[in-house]
Amino acid sequence: MAQPPLSQRIQRLERELEVRLFDRTSRQVALTKAGRLLLPEARELLARSESLRAAARRIRDGESGLLRAGLPPDIAGDTVAALLTGFQDRRSGVELELHELSTTDQLARFAAHELDVGLIHHPCDVTGLELGPVLRRELGVLLPRDAEAAGLTEVPLAALAGSDLILFPRAGAPVLYDDLLTTCARGGYTPPAVRHGQGASFVRGLVLSVGAVAFSPRDARAVEPDADLVWRPLAGAPLAWRHSVAWPRGHGDTAVRAFADAATHALRTTADARPDTPTRPMRLRPASEYWL
Amino acid sequence: MTRTVNVPDAADRIRAAFADAGVTGRLHALDIDSGTQLGVDADQLVCTASVHKLCLLVALHDRAAAGDLDLTEQAECPPDGRTPGPTGLAAMLDVARMSLRDLAYLMMAVSDNAAADLLLARVGLDAVNRTTARLGLDATRAVHTFGAMLASVKEDAGPAGAQALADPHVVARLRALDPARANRSTPRDMTRLLRAVWRDEACLPEHGAAIRRVMGLQVWPHRLASGFPFDDVLVAGKTGSLPTLRNEVGVVEYPDGGRYAVAVFTRTAHTAATLPAADAVIGTAARIAVDALRSRQRDVPAAPTRVSDDLPARSTAPGRGAGRP
Repeated sequence: MAQPPLSQRIQRLERELEVRLFDRTSRQVALTKAGRLLLPEARELLARSESLRAAARRIRDGESGLLRAGLPPDIAGDTVAALLTGFQDRRSGVELELHELSTTDQLARFAAHELDVGLIHHPCDVTGLELGPVLRRELGVLLPRDAEAAGLTEVPLAALAGSDLILFPRAGAPVLYDDLLTTCARGGYTPPAVRHGQGASFVRGLVLSVGAVAFSPRDARAVEPDADLVWRPLAGAPLAWRHSVAWPRGHGDTAVRAFADAATHALRTTADARPDTPTRPMRLRPASEYWL
Repeated sequence: MTRTVNVPDAADRIRAAFADAGVTGRLHALDIDSGTQLGVDADQLVCTASVHKLCLLVALHDRAAAGDLDLTEQAECPPDGRTPGPTGLAAMLDVARMSLRDLAYLMMAVSDNAAADLLLARVGLDAVNRTTARLGLDATRAVHTFGAMLASVKEDAGPAGAQALADPHVVARLRALDPARANRSTPRDMTRLLRAVWRDEACLPEHGAAIRRVMGLQVWPHRLASGFPFDDVLVAGKTGSLPTLRNEVGVVEYPDGGRYAVAVFTRTAHTAATLPAADAVIGTAARIAVDALRSRQRDVPAAPTRVSDDLPARSTAPGRGAGRP
């Protein structure tokens, strides 16, 4: 750009923002302190405008461009690898930009038009979303090898009675947290204490040091068997993580559907996920106000 | 300018209560006499579900006031073709015959879907929309009967019936939960309607009194009313429910004369039908809002308070008291 128009643009921007961005002398131009403070914001704005253009390109021709996709942090590496391979096989032209995001963060980004598709945990508010099929990853229990219940091939919830439970902090997913504890209580297990922990090694450490138990999906079992810990399925499979692919309603183009297919396939083949069809009867009470 | 309560953390506390109960909630609360207000996403378009029965009730009284119908005229209620539902005529087996105003009582007291659709057939969908438009409820619109709403849920749920409603994949495709395609409003529109009803600005005083009476006869204790466990406080309201959707709009009246219109619209994360915490948080959120409006009221000196320009303050408040039997 020729210098005079550039200077004019800078001056216009400075007037608009009501701050001086550059110290100009006849010999050199340097950023002011205000300019330095605003620089990261400006860079972010430019990056956002790039992502807008990429999204527009993808919407325009559906073949090339960028698909912004979210995955929750608890998805195993094998599953991510299978998803990436599966997606490239289906849509070799589309660039996949993966973000590690919790379900709450994904929903916020859908609302802000900053994410095209994602793999989410249920339950969550699905207002304004379209969903792929719901899959369940059954949870088993991690317990110290010397625990009495470790001798069983399948552990009933009631056999955990008396053990403290290690669980993710409630604020992260209050509904899931309450649902897990309610299901445990219904199955005869009310932990004397619930201790909060999330990282896999931290949870293992707690299980070992305090003799507590924790729930985890089959595919998150120790890759190298831990001498002091065992993983056992729960009798009757009462607990599960439930996932589905989600995208904003009306925005399910071919790239989104390719991601949905690839994610569903990857979960089924690498994470032991199965279709979740409700089997329990739903007995509606009069206060429900509807009747089918 | 309408004054907005600036209790710094009331809106944050309401959001936190919604999150803690596993719901996404929108709320608007309005001091009926001063116009002081508080909102959380108060202009968000929401599905009304059975809350729209309140609009139908006001339209019924509009048409009665215009002489188009007589509230005591008898309606035949044959069992065949009745709109289904778990309460009132919708759950009864035999022929019934009752007045339009008694149908209105069943519609409001137990959310009777059959009574509502009999009234809607007499009043007309257009008349309901004319009434809400006349009252300035620009975002409020009825597009189908209660029977049509339930039929769409049944059709979208598929052959597995209610059981399929536990599947988020099924819930996400319910047309009845899409405000673009279903009966709709906003929290702010609903408190505006309630304020007009409680100030006798929606219709003549005798009609206003009849509306307040049946709203005070609603039987459900689990939502709005649960937030106000006080024998000397009146709660008059109307609920609305569909899979994952729980609403209530109503008026809370304190013995010192304070009257507050509150509208709460929620969607649960969980697909379960029985969720006591999700029902109760409607009362919890309403209580936080009303407490904030009342604390603001106490802070204000005795000098005349400035209220919104479009809603002039009145020194006397007609229609005080829901007139419970």
